[in-house]
Amino acid sequence: MVFVYGYGIYRLVEEATHRDGSSVGLDNLHIALNDPFFRQAVGNNLRLLLTLPIIIAIALLIAILLYEGMTGWRFHRVAIFIPYMLPVVVVGVLFGQLLTLHGAVNQALQSVGLGRLAQDWLGNPDWALRSLAGVIIWRELGFGVILFLARLLSLPQNVFDAARVDGAGWFRTHRSVTLPMMRSIIGFYFVIEAITLMSWVFSYVFVMTQGGPGQATQVTETYIYEEAFTANLPWLAASAAVLLLVGIVGIAAMFLAGRFIWTRMRAA
Amino acid sequence: MLRKLQSCLAVSLALGLVAAAAGCGGSSSSSPSSGNPSGPITLTMWYWGQQEAHGLTTFVNQSIAAYHKLHPDITIKPVLQSTDNLMPNFAAAAKAKKGPDIEYRWGGIWGLQDAWDGNLAPVSDYIPKSEYSHYLNGSEDTYENKLWTAPWYVQPSFPMLYRKDILAKYGITPPKTFPELMQACSTLRSHGITPIAGGVQDGWFGGWLFSILESQSLGSVNDLKEAVVGQQKFTDSNQAAWWTALQQMIDHKCWNDDIGSLQLYQAQQTWVDGKSAMTITAGTDVKKFVAQVGQSKVGVMTMPSYANGAGAGKLGSTSQTLGISSWSPYKQQAADFIVFMHTPKELSLFYKDTGALPADDRFNPAEITVPQVKQLYQYMLNGAPYLENFIPTDLDSKANFGGVQLMFAGKETPQQAAQATESDMARIRTIDPELIDNFKKWAQQQ
Repeated sequence: MVFVYGYGIYRLVEEATHRDGSSVGLDNLHIALNDPFFRQAVGNNLRLLLTLPIIIAIALLIAILLYEGMTGWRFHRVAIFIPYMLPVVVVGVLFGQLLTLHGAVNQALQSVGLGRLAQDWLGNPDWALRSLAGVIIWRELGFGVILFLARLLSLPQNVFDAARVDGAGWFRTHRSVTLPMMRSIIGFYFVIEAITLMSWVFSYVFVMTQGGPGQATQVTETYIYEEAFTANLPWLAASAAVLLLVGIVGIAAMFLAGRFIWTRMRAA
Repeated sequence: MLRKLQSCLAVSLALGLVAAAAGCGGSSSSSPSSGNPSGPITLTMWYWGQQEAHGLTTFVNQSIAAYHKLHPDITIKPVLQSTDNLMPNFAAAAKAKKGPDIEYRWGGIWGLQDAWDGNLAPVSDYIPKSEYSHYLNGSEDTYENKLWTAPWYVQPSFPMLYRKDILAKYGITPPKTFPELMQACSTLRSHGITPIAGGVQDGWFGGWLFSILESQSLGSVNDLKEAVVGQQKFTDSNQAAWWTALQQMIDHKCWNDDIGSLQLYQAQQTWVDGKSAMTITAGTDVKKFVAQVGQSKVGVMTMPSYANGAGAGKLGSTSQTLGISSWSPYKQQAADFIVFMHTPKELSLFYKDTGALPADDRFNPAEITVPQVKQLYQYMLNGAPYLENFIPTDLDSKANFGGVQLMFAGKETPQQAAQATESDMARIRTIDPELIDNFKKWAQQQ
């Protein structure tokens, strides 16, 4: 662990604080922070992060419906989890084709009289990031559903029975009983997905849009890749990677601090 | 338990980034010098080009086999690279000082940036001048009087192919000027035909359009070099005119409406399928397209002219090249194989297998049988510098690839695109002064 992470961090920080063999302190980080392309990439990551509540809400709803034994729940459970099992590259290529201007999505819209909604989903800068987010939600949902379903199945049934005996309806039962008991697993999924949306979307972007059109879908990872391997500026790539790492550790730390404070407040 | 798992997972995932990101750093190691092996050796050759010169893989395999027959102790392992990974893979290999012995590079700055970074050994240290002086377009790969990568085959950049049958059907003669092209676009559109097929989703076509349009408004390639080093601006009228010309084409609906959705090669296929009247291809690919569509149906021309600069009515003349990795222990052996591919029999086989023209003045043009390729050969003899080879690659990908995508999406005006290019170049001058210093030296000696 120490070698893998310790040496990696050492090399990263060394690269980020040196240029042409000389130490430059935090200058490289300063340049990265002020680079408009880096800022746009971070902004796009943050926009993707906004999809997190949507992913959680949908995953939770589907998990509850499956838990309650909706018709065909076995089929739905498998169908929802399959996208998560598919390699991201396959998903990217598939949606790259579906979302072209004359692709299946627009053809379907036209066939049901909704042709005016047709878009160049990945070629229009106004839509490209949203389309990308939609694909990410579609794939990431499966993991959340299975995670939530597993937790639901482990909850004591008598609590739900008691709520029903007390006259609680569907919405009240889940709001007052299910959600509080699911809080820890929701928090866990939140952190996992936040990290995914900040630092694990490279394959989606690279396969589907390569950061374009323009810089519309550029994310921090593709920025790092471009600066390291296209622009041949490893120090800039390393600086961006350090900033990304700090951001991710920050998210994880905030989550842990939040949990700690919450636990203390409840104990008090 | 769950809390422990949460903590561990969150921290592990965060730290896991480091391993990937640290790859950006890499470690340096001393480059082994070229040696004389006493036993069998294996060279690795990373190449690209099957994508633009159909049949290149066949040629490479046969050439390697023939060389192995002559030199049983030398085995060459060919690895075809994808377009998007050609540059990044070599950059990663260079960091690790481990990878190919022979590496494919596009001409000009695409190879020289690696030379400046110390990743290539000059081929002229291993190939005598009496040999490499036969290679075509080597001047763009020369820096400090050394040839850094060896021209392999010529890339006439980039011809416009038109369907004679479609143009004739609507009474259109192949346009030579922009007004004629605009008229052709209007006529074809009125009959429901897409005038020109292109694809910018993967970006590369943006660099092509920059090169073939910008060259028409510049007095010489020196204007472009001056803009790179800050002595001219990309917003100056001669530098920015190509964006306006492109906008004019967009306004006249010259392009397929899904140009933002399609990759370059996908778009060219729609032309083969008869869905558009014209397209722009790699010169090396012309033979393939002629074979697919039919010799009698395909015409070749240059991009119609909107200005009368040095490159108007001409194709860019550049060569795709092979370099030798600076860390290779077998530099001389690598160079010897490159020379072998320039022997008369191999030059002849190269053309036969690929339809592309070898970058060697010893190739006998009488071997060219396809009329369209003969025409390309003539264009090549009277070619102009290919501009994409004379700007930093980062500027190309950010300003040209991105700017063209935004213009086709209707999100950027020509003025905004020119301003963005100037800003991008200013950014590069600030963050990579070493590149600019090398560029200045290179520009001065050209």
